[in-house]
Amino acid sequence: MKILIIEDEKQLVKSILLALRNEGYVCEVAYSAAEADEKIVLFEYDCILLDINLPDGNGLNILERIKDNKKTDGVIIITAKNSLDDKVRGLNLGADDYLAKPFFMPELIARVSAIIRRKRFDGSNKVVFHEIAVDLLGKSVNVKGKELDLTRMEFSLLVFLIANKNRVVSKNAIAEHLSGDDAELLDKFDFIYSHMKNLKRKLTEAGSEDYIKTIYGLGYKFST
Amino acid sequence: MRLLQVNIRGLLLYSVVLVLISIPVSLFSIQAILAEEVDESIAHQADQFLTHIKSFEYLDDLETDLKVLDKLSNNIHIRPADNNKFVNKDYQTTSLYDSIEHAVRPFRQMSSHVLVKGKPYILTVQMSLVDNNDLVMAIGLVQITVSVLLVGGLLFLNRSLSKRLWKPFYKTLDQLKAYELDKSESIAIESSNINEFNDLNKTVSHLTERNRRVFLNQKEFIENASHEIQTPLAIFQSKLDTLMQSPNLSQMEADTIMDLESTAQRIARLNKNLLLLSKIDNEQFLQTEPVNVDEIIRSQIDSLAPMAALESTKITAELATLTIYANKTLVEVLISNLLHNAIRYGAKKETIGVTLNDKRLSISNIGVARNMNIEQMTQRFSKESSDPNSSGLGLAIVKKICDSCGYKLEYSFSNSTHIFSVNF
Repeated sequence: MKILIIEDEKQLVKSILLALRNEGYVCEVAYSAAEADEKIVLFEYDCILLDINLPDGNGLNILERIKDNKKTDGVIIITAKNSLDDKVRGLNLGADDYLAKPFFMPELIARVSAIIRRKRFDGSNKVVFHEIAVDLLGKSVNVKGKELDLTRMEFSLLVFLIANKNRVVSKNAIAEHLSGDDAELLDKFDFIYSHMKNLKRKLTEAGSEDYIKTIYGLGYKFST
Repeated sequence: MRLLQVNIRGLLLYSVVLVLISIPVSLFSIQAILAEEVDESIAHQADQFLTHIKSFEYLDDLETDLKVLDKLSNNIHIRPADNNKFVNKDYQTTSLYDSIEHAVRPFRQMSSHVLVKGKPYILTVQMSLVDNNDLVMAIGLVQITVSVLLVGGLLFLNRSLSKRLWKPFYKTLDQLKAYELDKSESIAIESSNINEFNDLNKTVSHLTERNRRVFLNQKEFIENASHEIQTPLAIFQSKLDTLMQSPNLSQMEADTIMDLESTAQRIARLNKNLLLLSKIDNEQFLQTEPVNVDEIIRSQIDSLAPMAALESTKITAELATLTIYANKTLVEVLISNLLHNAIRYGAKKETIGVTLNDKRLSISNIGVARNMNIEQMTQRFSKESSDPNSSGLGLAIVKKICDSCGYKLEYSFSNSTHIFSVNF
C-alpha cells in the first residue's frame, strides 16, 4: 500500500513518515509541487496526502492534475488554511477527505486507512481483526458471528482504535475524534472512560480477547 | 451648546446691551439739547422783544399798547410787576391751557423783570414743548425699530449664513459619526471654499484612511499569523504522538506528554477561534442560504447531550420551526457557542432550557450570579472562570456574529437563571 506525502514542512513529514511506516505503509515524499507533479504522473498511489500551501504552487492545482490524469488515488487534503472555500473546492475537485492542521496523528492514520479500505475493497468495507468483524457500512460489529449491540460512540471508538492498532492513542485524540469541537467541554477522562469500559465489557462478554489496554496517564492502545 | 449658538449668544447679548443703553442715553441727550435750544430761543425772543419795545418808547400810550399786546399775543406776555418780587430770567416748565389746541400742554416759559419807560414789568415768554416731545418720541421710535431690526437681522443672518457656512463641517461630522473602521470605505471629502474646512476635511480623510489601512493590515496580520501557527502546532502535536509511542515511558514522562498535548490543543482552539473572529471581520461568511434554525439546534443538542450528561445536566428544548436566510456556518457557530456556554457555566444537575419562537432563541441555565455585564462578557479574553478549556472567546464570537448579521443579543439574570437571547 503506497502513500505519497506532498508537504513542504520537513519536520511534519518526518513524523508522518514514522507513523505511517509503522503501520506498514510504503511512503514517498514530495517536498514541492514540481516534485509532486513528477511523481503523480509516474506512479500509482493508494492515498495521497496533499498540503494546499506549497512554496511553488497551490495544492489544489496538483489535485486538478491528479484528477485530469484519471488517477484513482484517494486524496486527503491537509491545510493550515481551514477555510470553507478551500474545503468545498477541494472536495468538488475530487478530494476524498479534508484535514485541517493541527491534527492528531491517530486521526490522520484513521482517515488514511479509511480511504485505502475504500479504494482497495471497492466499498465492501469490512474490517476483520481476529475474531472481531466490523461492517463499516452497516455499522455493525460481530464477534465470532455474534452481533454486538454498540452505541454510536462505542462503534466509532472501536473503529478508531482498530485503525490505530498497536499505537498509543491519547485521550485528547479520542475525545476530538468522537466529539469534534465539542471536545473542549469534556472532562476527557470521565467521558472516554465510561465509553471505553462499556466497549471492553461488550467485547469480552461476546467472547473476544481483551485487546484494549489502558496506558496509564496517556490513553489507550489496541494491541494484538 | 452648539458653537453657533455660543457665537450668536455673545453677539446678541452685546448688541442688546448696547441698544438698551443707547436708547435712554440718546433720548435724554436729545431732550437736554432740545431744552437748551428752547431756552436759548426763548431768551432770544425776549431780547428781540425788548429791543423792539425800546424802539417804541417814544410812543406816549405805550402802556396801553402793552396791555393790548399782552392780550393779543399768545406767546409773549408783559404785565406790570409787583414791586416786592423781583425775578431775573426765571425758566420754568409748566402745563398751561393751549387755546389753539384746546388742551393742557407742557410749556417752557421764562419770566423776567424788565423796565419799560422806567416802569417795572414782568415779561413772560412761552414756548410749547409738544413739538419737541413729538420729535423725541419719533427719534426714540426710530431707534427702537432700528435696534429690533438689528437684533432680528443679526439672528436671521447668522442662522442662515452659518447654516450655509458650516454645512461642510456638519457633513464631515456626519460622515465621521457614521464611520465604522471595520465597515466603511474611506471618507469622501467635499471641497468647500473655506480654507479651514478644507484643511479639516483633508486631515480627517487622511486620518481615517491611515486608520483603515492600519486596521486592514492588522486584520490581515491576525489571519496570517493564525494560519502560520497551525503548521508548527501540527508539527508539535505529531512529535508528541511520536514520543507517546515509545515504550517504557515513566509515569512522570507520560503525564508531561499529556500536559503538553492538552496545552497544544488549547493553543490550537484559541487559534481557531481567533481565526474565526478575524474571518467574520474580513467578511468571509457572506454567502447566505435558507437555514433551518430549529434543525440545527436539535442536532447540536443531540451531539451535546453526552457532554451534558457528564455533569448530570439535562437539556430541554421547545422549538418552533424557523427558517432564516443566513450563513449556515455562522448560525451553527452561534448556537453551538451559546450551548457550550450554558453547559460550561450551568450548575450541575440542573436543566438547560432552549426555546425558539417568534424568531427569538433563548438559552437559559441555572448558575451563580456573575459580576459581569453583557459588554464585559462579550469582550475577548474576558472570563471569570479559570477553566483552561475556556478560551474566553466564545461569547465574543457570538457577539461578533450577532453584530455582523444584525441579530440582537440580550442577556438577563434573575432567580439565579442566566438567559441569553438572540433575536434573528
